[in-house]
Order: sequence, then C-alpha cells, then structure tokens
Amino acid sequence: MKSALTWEIVAQCSRTKARVAKLKLPHGVVDTPVFMPVGTQGTLKGLTVKQLEDLDCQIMLNNTYHLGLRPGKEVLEEIGGAHEFQNWKRNLLTVRRFQMVSLLKLACITERGVEFQSPHDGSKMLLTPEHSISLQNSIGADIIMQLDDVVSSLTTGPRVEEAMFRSIRWLDRCIVAHKKSESQNLFAIIQGGLDLNLRRKCIEEMVKRDTPGYAIGGLSGGEEKDIFWRIVNLCTDLLPKTKPIYCMGVGYTEDLIVCSALGVDMYDCVFPTRTARFGNALTSKGTLNLKTSKFSQDFRPIEEDCDCLTCKTFTRAYIHIHSTRETVGCHLITIHNVSYQLRLMRNIRQAIIDNRFPLFIIQSFKDLFGSVDKYPKWAVNALNGVNINLTSENENT
Amino acid sequence: MASTFSFELIVKSDRCFRLGRIICLRNKERKVMSTPNFLAYTVRGSVPHLTPDNLREISVEALEIPLENFLEIQPPPSSLYPHGAHKFFNFENLLLFFDIRDPGELKQVSFNTDKFVSVFTLHGVCKITSDTYVKYINSYNPDAVISLADMTTFQKTPGLKRIKKSVNRTLDWLDYALENIKEGIQIFGALVGHNNHEERIRSAHETANRNVAGFLLNGLDLGTTSRERLDLLKISISNLPDDKPRIAYGFENPVDILRGIFEGIDIFDGSYPSKKTEEGNALIFTLENEELINDDDTGKSLLLYLHDEKYKTDFRPLLSSCKCYACRNHTRAYIHHLLKTREMLATVLLMR
Repeated sequence: MKSALTWEIVAQCSRTKARVAKLKLPHGVVDTPVFMPVGTQGTLKGLTVKQLEDLDCQIMLNNTYHLGLRPGKEVLEEIGGAHEFQNWKRNLLTVRRFQMVSLLKLACITERGVEFQSPHDGSKMLLTPEHSISLQNSIGADIIMQLDDVVSSLTTGPRVEEAMFRSIRWLDRCIVAHKKSESQNLFAIIQGGLDLNLRRKCIEEMVKRDTPGYAIGGLSGGEEKDIFWRIVNLCTDLLPKTKPIYCMGVGYTEDLIVCSALGVDMYDCVFPTRTARFGNALTSKGTLNLKTSKFSQDFRPIEEDCDCLTCKTFTRAYIHIHSTRETVGCHLITIHNVSYQLRLMRNIRQAIIDNRFPLFIIQSFKDLFGSVDKYPKWAVNALNGVNINLTSENENT
Repeated sequence: MASTFSFELIVKSDRCFRLGRIICLRNKERKVMSTPNFLAYTVRGSVPHLTPDNLREISVEALEIPLENFLEIQPPPSSLYPHGAHKFFNFENLLLFFDIRDPGELKQVSFNTDKFVSVFTLHGVCKITSDTYVKYINSYNPDAVISLADMTTFQKTPGLKRIKKSVNRTLDWLDYALENIKEGIQIFGALVGHNNHEERIRSAHETANRNVAGFLLNGLDLGTTSRERLDLLKISISNLPDDKPRIAYGFENPVDILRGIFEGIDIFDGSYPSKKTEEGNALIFTLENEELINDDDTGKSLLLYLHDEKYKTDFRPLLSSCKCYACRNHTRAYIHHLLKTREMLATVLLMR
C-alpha cells in the first residue's frame, strides 16, 4: 500500500540484529532505534513543546481514544489536527492504548468493533476499524495504528487465535477506510499472543498487506519475559528488513537494549514520565527515589554526566524538597527521565554506528545491575540468541 | 566584601507615586530591580509550576522565599548547602528576598510571644525565635531579609494594648536582626500598628529611625476591604522617608495594585498570578484597555475563566497583544482542554 515515509538503514551491527536507520516522516526525520515519549492527552505531562524540542525529541505519541473523547473529533477538525492543536511541529504517532489496562474490562469486542463504556460519563461507544481510522485521519498523526483485537498476553486458548485472525480482517477494513495515505502511515499490529505459530501466521498475512511499518502488539502485559523476547525475536526475523518495526509498550532500559539487539526500531512507554510523578529519577545505575529523605542533603545532580536542564541546574536535595509536592519537582524529573531515555537511544545508535554495540551492551548491564548474578535471566538468554554472551564476556571487559 | 544597596528615585510625582530602581552590588555582581515591580512568589523555593527555562522568559528581577516553607526539618537541609540560596535555588542573577511567612496567605496559626513567632509548616505549627531566624538567614545568605513582625492574626480585632505590644516586639526583633544579620544582607523593617493610627505612626517613625534598607507594609492581617486596608497603609507611608523602597503584601488584582502604586508603594508580592493560575484563570488586564479598569473590587472582568465550555473552540491566544510563551504558542481552546483533562501543562502555561 501507499506510504508516506522513507526508511534508510544507516548502520547494521555486525553481531546482533541491531540497526540504525533514518525514518523520514511528514514532520521530519526520526533516527531509530527511537524511544517515543507518551503525551496521552495532547501534552507530555507538564512539558512545553519547546522543552521537548530542546531535548531533541523527534516524535511523540498521542492517544487516539483520549483525544477522541477530549477535545473530540470536531474540535480537532476545526483547528486542523493534533499538531496544530498542541502546536507540535514534529512527528506524532497515535495509538489506542486501553487494551492492557483497566479499560479492557469496560470493553466488549464483536466482529463490528470494540464497544466500551466511557470512563467519564459511562455512555456506550462503539469503536470500529472505520471509526478508528477516521478519527486518526482527523487527528492527523504521521503514523497511525490499525484497530486490533487485543487480548491480554496472559490469555490462552481459542480466543487468542480468534483475536489474531480478527486483527487481520480489521487491518483490511482499516486499509479501505484510510483516506490520507499520502500524509499518514498506517502500521499493522502483529497479534497472536504468546503462540509462535499464531505469530507466524499473522506476520505472513499482514506482510501481504504491505503496510508502511509493523508493530508488535499484545506484549508487555505481564507475560514471562523469557517468552516475550522469543516473540519479539521471531517477529524481527520474519518481518521485512525494509520497514520499521515498532514494539509497543516497551521502555525499561534493559528492555530497550535487548530489543534493539533483536532488531526493533521503535518503542513507547508511559513508564519514564509516570514514574517521574512518583519522584523516581532514572539513571544508568538504576532508579533514584528522590522522595526519600536520604536525598535531603545530597547536593549532587541526579546524574553527573547528564546534560539535561535539571542536572545542569539543580541538586538532588532541591528536587527532594519539591518531589511530589510541587509540580516543578515533577517537571524537573520528567525532563530528566525523557532526556535519559533519548540519551540512551542516542548512545545505542552511536554504538551501532561505531560497531561497538556488543561492548556497549555489556557495559550498560554492568552499570545497571552491578554484578552478573543480578542480571535478569531472560536478558542473558535473549542476548545469547544474538551472539552476545553477557556472563562470560563481562569478565573480559 | 564590599556591598552596596541603593534606591534611586528616577521620577517622583507631585502625588505620591514614583518610579525608581534598586541597585544591589554584591560580590562584584550588580543586580537591578526597577520599581514599581513585584517579588515573584515562590513555594518551597520555586515559582509554582515554572522550571528555570520557563521562568527565564518572564522578566522577573526579584523573588521572595518564605522561610516557613522549609521549617518542617530544622535546620532546613537546604540551609546547609555551602554555596547559599541563590545557587541552591538557581536564582543566581536575581535579587533574593527572604521573609518568615508566606506573603500569599497569612495562615492563622498560633499566638506569638516576646520570644518567638509561630509559623505554619508541613508538620504543623512551629515556633521561631529571632536568633534562629537570623541564623538560618545568615546561612541562606539572600540579598535582603524582612525582619520578623508580630502580626496580630490570632485576634481579629486586637485591643490597643496588644497593638502596642506588637509594635514593641517588632522593633525589638528588628534591633536584634540589625545587630546579628551578617553584612551584605539588607534588612527591611516590617511596619505594624494594625488599625491604630498613633501606633502605625510610631511603628513607621521608629523603624525609619533605624538603619534599614527599606520597609514592609503588610496588609494581610488588616481584615478589611482593600480600600480600607490601603487607607491604613497610607498612614504608615506618609510617615516614611522618600529615599527607601516600600514593599507591600496583600494587593490582589491589577486595579488594586494601581491604587497601591498611586499611594507610593514600590514593590508588591507576586502571589496573585499564582492564585489565579490555580483557579484556571488567565489575567488579561492591560493598561490600554481602560474599560476593564472601571470595575468592582473583585477584578473578575480582568480574567478569563478557562474552565468555561465556551473556550472549547476558541482558537485565539489568551491575550492577542501579549508576547509571552503561552500567548505566542497556544490557544484558549488548548488550555481549556488541558484544564479539562487535568494536565499539568495548563498551570505551566497560565503561570507565564
């Protein structure tokens, strides 16, 4: 199908499946692997668009479902889309993320679409593939997602298969409904639960539809991480190398490193911004909870080598005074956490370009977990699958 | 270390109002505050909702930090930071004033005695003696401090005896501060006297006779209308010398502030914009817009209440003539949306 993007691989890791690419979208170039911060309701948790630009954020997420409720399709159409509405001049991607969380309980899925109760007024709404695309056409994001039939990654049995096949049928309806393929890229979402065969089947069918990019859906819902990485690994093996691959809902440092090694190009997660609101600052050596009183006289920045506004300006003690009491504290941690995620991805890309990604992985795990016995087993296994032996190579570096 | 603090009157009208500037030279650094002006309001050491990059876009020249925001742990850990408050709070090129109480809201706490002032902290009421106050101020090392005042908040209508006591205590605490606050920190004397003319005059005269850098007129404990309050403050003002700056608390909307300027007040507390932000109101007053000035005392027509549904599709800026970040970049409809969805960017944008 028609696409409004170009995808150019710049560098390829010589050992893992990791790659660096330039993804050209209607609102500018995105360097991948990329982490996309989540601005659910048309704003990234207290940050101004200028602050996001200063952080060199090239693409942000909005939530289709939330924007559809407020401000609503009419308002968005009147002003000319979500870019205009929030004055964001760079790229947007719209997702409908209510599947994994509590909203799924309010939903009832039939062949026509997803019927759910509005959490605001309790009224019933029917979201069909056609509605979803029409709404995303009004929002006008550079990348839009098909409506898929999502089941929790913990679900087993025939429901998983039904959801996978229905997602393929809904993809076809989405493709027909999509009115702006010259300016918006429709991504298919691979389903199939934790069943490798169902995933294979789904990929086989969806690749035939030739969408501009593919997302790996139905994961990050509490499944075993050792199964999670195998699904991701299968998807990156089978999906065409000529298109971007987006793994939905991934955002922890070790997950981003491992999935990049497996060949994933795009990620999103609310974690860095959500955890900031609880006073948690991300660092390459783990998380600091700045609410705790041990930081009240800690006059160091969150991270010595971080160049974000927060670390350049304030001490941990200052943020401790503000954390979770004043919004400024939350903004400062959010700025740092987004900056941390973007810097991590920049470092991943540079390491791949310099062909030292395996060493980068080993060093990062050492920083993050301290000693080998604390490394998550699944990550060790996953990296083994792409020729990186975390446990033995650690000794040589 | 040589430091000077001077107040120049640039224009003085036949009436009381005046144009001036404070020039503070300290550690080879020169800071200027043009008056009339305001002290940016801070809570726990930051201007509410504004990160430093956002604050920089507003022409703030001076800020005020209420010490009571930090007193739940003593000594406040931030006072132990070895490089002073300017650096800790990242207000290095700005004039920094400290006071004990929050100028935005004088919470009634408990009584004061000759020895201490009661203040409100996160962990409840706490008693601060003048030597503790001086000790903390000396470690924070701001540019200026307002000396302790014995406000009569605990009694709505204090008797003459209480008012006299308030004047005496406030002068005693001022004397202690003048002796013990370290060199380089300027001291502003707090004027009291409640609604008693003679005591207001005595407080003004006695304070003016001392070596203070300026004066504080606190209208917050004068539980009257803004006009009556101004009449009381006028008694103090008319007994002050011209050559020192006057700070006033408790002036709310822009019209109120214009009246204050007219009576010779130089500096106001900046809590009003913060209060309006929390309500979801945008200030839209401009001097050019005269029809807005003919208003009642509430100042309601000087505001846009952005929660109102009528802004849902209002794609105009808050104020078309305004050059601030929010007005340059965003619409009323967007800020309405942010308020409706309880997103924190709403208050960030309104604060600017």
